Amino acid sequence: MATTTATITISSTDLLTDELSLSTSAAFTAAGNSTGIVATGGLGRKTTGNTTEYTLLDASLYTDDAAHKVYLKNMSVTPAQYFEVQIAGVVVGKLYAGDWALIPWSADTTGTNCDVDITPSHANMVLEYMLFVG
Amino acid sequence: MATTTATITLSSADLLTDSLSLSATQTLYKAGTTTGVEEYDMGRVVVPAGGSPLILVDATAAGNDKAGKIYVANKNTDETNYVIISMNDTVIGRLYSGDWMFIPWSQVDVSADIEVKAPNEANAVEWVFFHEGKTFSAA
Repeated sequence: MATTTATITISSTDLLTDELSLSTSAAFTAAGNSTGIVATGGLGRKTTGNTTEYTLLDASLYTDDAAHKVYLKNMSVTPAQYFEVQIAGVVVGKLYAGDWALIPWSADTTGTNCDVDITPSHANMVLEYMLFVG
Repeated sequence: MATTTATITLSSADLLTDSLSLSATQTLYKAGTTTGVEEYDMGRVVVPAGGSPLILVDATAAGNDKAGKIYVANKNTDETNYVIISMNDTVIGRLYSGDWMFIPWSQVDVSADIEVKAPNEANAVEWVFFHEGKTFSAA
């Protein structure tokens, strides 16, 4: 088994009157046990040609209702450029320039088609992504 | 405006043949701008076992199509326990004990609530929602 760790640190000195500092780490394990994940979808970099919707991750290729995680990052530096992220056809949110996300993913195919889809706001945008297979 | 940053570090010495080390930092801006977000809500709840999904964070009209970000962590320590995260009554994924997520949340409509369900046992969940404003309920 492998040991893979994800740490998030959120901080601000002026969002509040007092300083905000939050940090937590998670070891990626398979669903329901303490065994480290052993597979990844690899680190990918996708340049989208136009503003149509793309299927980034096909749920049918992965185990349903496991402990998968998806990392996304919008590589744009233009503030107005975003990727709309959908899971199972539901709009989760817009990932603006420079934003990243770590999303738990059920990859369910029984109740819903839980593909991860992205729609770029502009042509020729770049997204980096990685799937951790739980 | 405030400056709030979120940094992720992904690392593993043995998931791949080569070492994995990835770090990314974002500043939390309002949608389509370089103006920092100025509002947030946070909380800690114990999600009771079983039952129907519960609303963890309520979507409101004021948040519609904005650049909100939400952090959720499952603070349970039993590896077999998890919470199911849903949005708009659709399952997104599971957060097992110790797992966290940080996702954009655009609140496409007032039904796009962040929902949570603990199928097995009660799970303590912590969350922070960074946003551009919300619609308050009338007193």
